[in-house]
Amino acid sequence: MKSRFLKDRLATAVLWSCMGAVLVILGGILVFLIVQGAGALSWEFFTQPPRDSMTKGGILTPLVGTVQLVLVAMAFAFPVGVLTAVYLNEYASGDRFTNILRLAVRSLAGVPSVVFGLFGLSFFVIFLKFGSSLLSAGLTLGCLALPVIVGASEAALKAVPQDYRDASYAMGATRWQTIRKVVLPAAFPAILTGGILSIGRVAGETAPIIFTGAAFFTPDIARSLFSQVMALPYHVLILATAGTNIDETRGIQYGTILVLLLVVLGITLTGVIWRARLRMRSSR
Amino acid sequence: MSRMKFQISNLNLYYGPTQALKDVSIDLPESSVTAFIGPSGCGKSTFLRCLNRMNDFIPRCRVDGRVLLDGTDIYAPGTDVISLRRRVGMVFQKPNPFPTSIFDNVAYGPRLHGVTDRSTLEGIVRQSLEGAALWDEVRDKLSSPALSLSGGQQQRLCIARAIAVQPEVLLMDEPTSALDPMSTARIEELVRELKTKYTVIIVTHNMQQAARISDLTAFFLLGEMVEAGPTQDIFTSPADRRTEDYITGRFG
Amino acid sequence: MKEAMKGDILPRRIISGFALTGMAIMIFILFFLVKESLPILRETSLLQILGGKEWYPTYAPPSFGMLPLITGSVAVTLLSALLAIPLSLGLAIFLSEACPRLLREFFKPTLEILGFLPSVVLGFIGMMVLAPWLQERFDLMTGLNLFNASVLMGIMIVPIVASIAEDSLSSVPDDLRDASYAMGATRWETTTRVVFPAALPGILEACLLGVMRAVGETMVVLMAAGGSAVIPKSVFDAVRPLTSTIAAEMGETPVGSGHYHALFFAGLLLFLFTWAINLFAARIEARGRRWRE
Repeated sequence: MKSRFLKDRLATAVLWSCMGAVLVILGGILVFLIVQGAGALSWEFFTQPPRDSMTKGGILTPLVGTVQLVLVAMAFAFPVGVLTAVYLNEYASGDRFTNILRLAVRSLAGVPSVVFGLFGLSFFVIFLKFGSSLLSAGLTLGCLALPVIVGASEAALKAVPQDYRDASYAMGATRWQTIRKVVLPAAFPAILTGGILSIGRVAGETAPIIFTGAAFFTPDIARSLFSQVMALPYHVLILATAGTNIDETRGIQYGTILVLLLVVLGITLTGVIWRARLRMRSSR
Repeated sequence: MSRMKFQISNLNLYYGPTQALKDVSIDLPESSVTAFIGPSGCGKSTFLRCLNRMNDFIPRCRVDGRVLLDGTDIYAPGTDVISLRRRVGMVFQKPNPFPTSIFDNVAYGPRLHGVTDRSTLEGIVRQSLEGAALWDEVRDKLSSPALSLSGGQQQRLCIARAIAVQPEVLLMDEPTSALDPMSTARIEELVRELKTKYTVIIVTHNMQQAARISDLTAFFLLGEMVEAGPTQDIFTSPADRRTEDYITGRFG
Repeated sequence: MKEAMKGDILPRRIISGFALTGMAIMIFILFFLVKESLPILRETSLLQILGGKEWYPTYAPPSFGMLPLITGSVAVTLLSALLAIPLSLGLAIFLSEACPRLLREFFKPTLEILGFLPSVVLGFIGMMVLAPWLQERFDLMTGLNLFNASVLMGIMIVPIVASIAEDSLSSVPDDLRDASYAMGATRWETTTRVVFPAALPGILEACLLGVMRAVGETMVVLMAAGGSAVIPKSVFDAVRPLTSTIAAEMGETPVGSGHYHALFFAGLLLFLFTWAINLFAARIEARGRRWRE
């Protein structure tokens, strides 16, 4: 009989050590990158473009490029994603069309990022003749973010109590008025949080932009949707695998990684904290 | 009346700063049915869960006082909660069969406690299902999912599951509140049979039920045990005004 | 449209139109993958692509045998799943069954943050930290190999598997746990015999979705797997999965060449493979839900 308790204790210890392992891995990676990369960070690092075949200078162009890519991606994916969720949660009636639509969104969520890259190349770059550009790469990232936004928005809409809708209908509001005046405002903070989290996802993606618009090097910030852009994650890849004098630019590499990490985790953390506060408020 | 199975004295229970049970003292005799009645939120279920320490799972829940089971304090430090719960079985308000087969549900407890032999298990399962008056209905489909049974059958399965480990006491927390009248009658009948072998303690919001099946009745109000005694006395000549008010339907 | 009210028809149409976008993208992806990969079948046979052991796409004449790439993908996927799934399930059980409530509010977001680490960062860690260590510790030709990539891939999929499995475990109703505890079961017995089996469909789904992610993940294998297109014989051999092949070679391939179409074919394989896993996972999950009701 004693062995049952021993087993229970042992299992509990193993479970705690699983969590411990994850904390060590995450903490180790973060601390290592901060220690290695902090030295490279300076005012110039953020305000100067790369110089001398990217062996010196800063990361202004890839940093701005990433922001531009995110903006394009979100301009496309956010409205489409939210409206898709509105359709699924407010209009859909469980018919065949809805089921297929749900299946499509779920399938889209599982498409490998490099396959999105291939799709972007054949559709945006070649078929629509956008060329290798900010627009093509941004839209490709948007396609990737779409299912994430749909998922988050649908959860947000589901959390709006049915009473709100009933109250609105009872006053003679149409469905669209109810959605626009009651449901969306109530769900909006949570939808926005989902959007923020999807930005965190998009900003760190590399594979979809390699052949749709990311540039090895551009001297200037992109001024048109049809120019190529540099992007932080791609910049990291280039510096680490195909740069000039890979070993001597380690400092810049670590610095770039750290900035990428700060951007992505900063956005993610904002989303996570915001969401936690929303939950706390709604549970009160 | 026979020997006392449970002797509870000065039991207090707190959820954080709020006190949910106030100074409850009562003795529960062996091989009888005791019913706890009272309006919802009066603490009767909480009290029931003190008897097999199921309240241990609630964070910030604190208990003081003495609960003696056969003379031993179950809240004494070093108490083996696991074997306590083996001796004090429980049936819950909502039928909660595991999503496995009927057989595996009943065999769950014996397996936990080390029975592996197939034919022994089969014997226990059969005995328990007979004890719960379910055997005739399920004898040919022991391997079908427990969730395919009706609500009343599921609850009897849960009773079978509880008695499969041969507990000494059976706690029942409003076991019929989620059931139809037919199933309820069936379970009440079963409770009357069970008391020959087990000490049954049942929480119910249904006073007729308490009157029909119990030997003793305790009335709870706002965390206090107002009155306890032979069921007949409680229902015909309650000593406390509040009990009378409740029983005659003036509140609750 | 029974309940259509005046003034509600136009918004409904517009929203349905937007909702179609996701479906359209899905159809376009499939269409363009097929359209761009079919021409390769004019150059070489399906059997040679799937069964050929030589991937020399730029030779004259080229050889498009994808077996080493497919093996590479499968090997990284299996090894990373082997490393990550036990840890993930441990985490899921920990968070759902054993973790004190307050700590949970901290640990769950931590796990989520781990899932947001960009894959290029993990690939970089593989190159800079894990590879030199492996090379020295095991006296290898290169630390960039199947094992390295699988460890990092494991880190990528742990948050996915753990969080989905945790959802599934947490959604097991408490009254089942109560029933088990009330019979004198320990927490571990309750977890393994009641909660885990009840959550099994969701847990299987979690594992499948983790595997799906591993099959499709690109940057980690591109940077840390070593990139040689041979069938691996040991966990320390370098591999070149389908994803990294596409990412590494598409940039330098003339549009419309045989190589270009072959890479699209590789993309089609990836797409179909991950899609199959995804649909299978959805099915398991749906069946599990029905069984619970």
